[in-house]
Amino acid sequence: MTTLTRQDLNFGQVVADILCEFLEVAIHLILYVREVYPSGIFQKRKKYNVPVQMSCHPELNQYIQDTLHCVKPLIEKNDAEKVAVVIMDKEHHPVERFVFEISQPPLLSISSDTLLSHVEQLLRAFILKISVCDAVLNNNPPDSTLRQQWSFSKCIHPIGQAWCSFTVLVHTRDAATRNMEKVQVIKDFPWIVADEQEVHMQEPRLIPLKTMTSDIVKMQLYVEERAQKT
Amino acid sequence: AKLDPSSASDKKVILMPCKNSPSRERVQLWLEARKQYESLQKGL
Repeated sequence: MTTLTRQDLNFGQVVADILCEFLEVAIHLILYVREVYPSGIFQKRKKYNVPVQMSCHPELNQYIQDTLHCVKPLIEKNDAEKVAVVIMDKEHHPVERFVFEISQPPLLSISSDTLLSHVEQLLRAFILKISVCDAVLNNNPPDSTLRQQWSFSKCIHPIGQAWCSFTVLVHTRDAATRNMEKVQVIKDFPWIVADEQEVHMQEPRLIPLKTMTSDIVKMQLYVEERAQKT
Repeated sequence: AKLDPSSASDKKVILMPCKNSPSRERVQLWLEARKQYESLQKGL
């Protein structure tokens, strides 16, 4: 086993690659499980040796990829404290927040086994927890029984319907945003400081989902759920 | 020189993409169109 610092090799890059790959799978799965998009756009795939649902909608997939492409330099430099997948109501107020709290140790002891097998096993547990999290969460607006009725009637959507949408929030430091700037320009995917209305949640209920501790990263996933969703 | 934790550059910020994610309605329309296309393909 070798002990490396963050400066050795491009270790930060390896961790960022692993985490961004994981976050991509996690975001697709959250959108499926929480019914942000119609289930028809999702296809079953196998990731981390477990079945997951991944979108096949090109624009949505590109959006998720562009988002993570911009987040990656922050993770690489250990500047992303939290990455949150936020489900919002029609007024763009958060109803649910899946928060990935990330911390990386300054000294790293790695071996190929650690990287490939152990971390994969830990990330698999997160995926499995996300797959079943709907059991502990309340329905998002509109109510799922109404969704089923519209689905059966093949109605695209009622006029003025209040479906939820999603965004990704990154908790970082002001100085670290420089690491993002180049990618933002290349991808034509600018980022802004979130408004209070996008961040503040009324009386959130906190549901811890999973924690992992490995040699390369510590991560905690919890959900913050608004008490009154409708 | 050490950064002053209270300095503006070390201030914590929460960032989000400027662009909105595709709306559910837009995705639903795409899905309906794809289903129609697939049924037409089968009919040929």
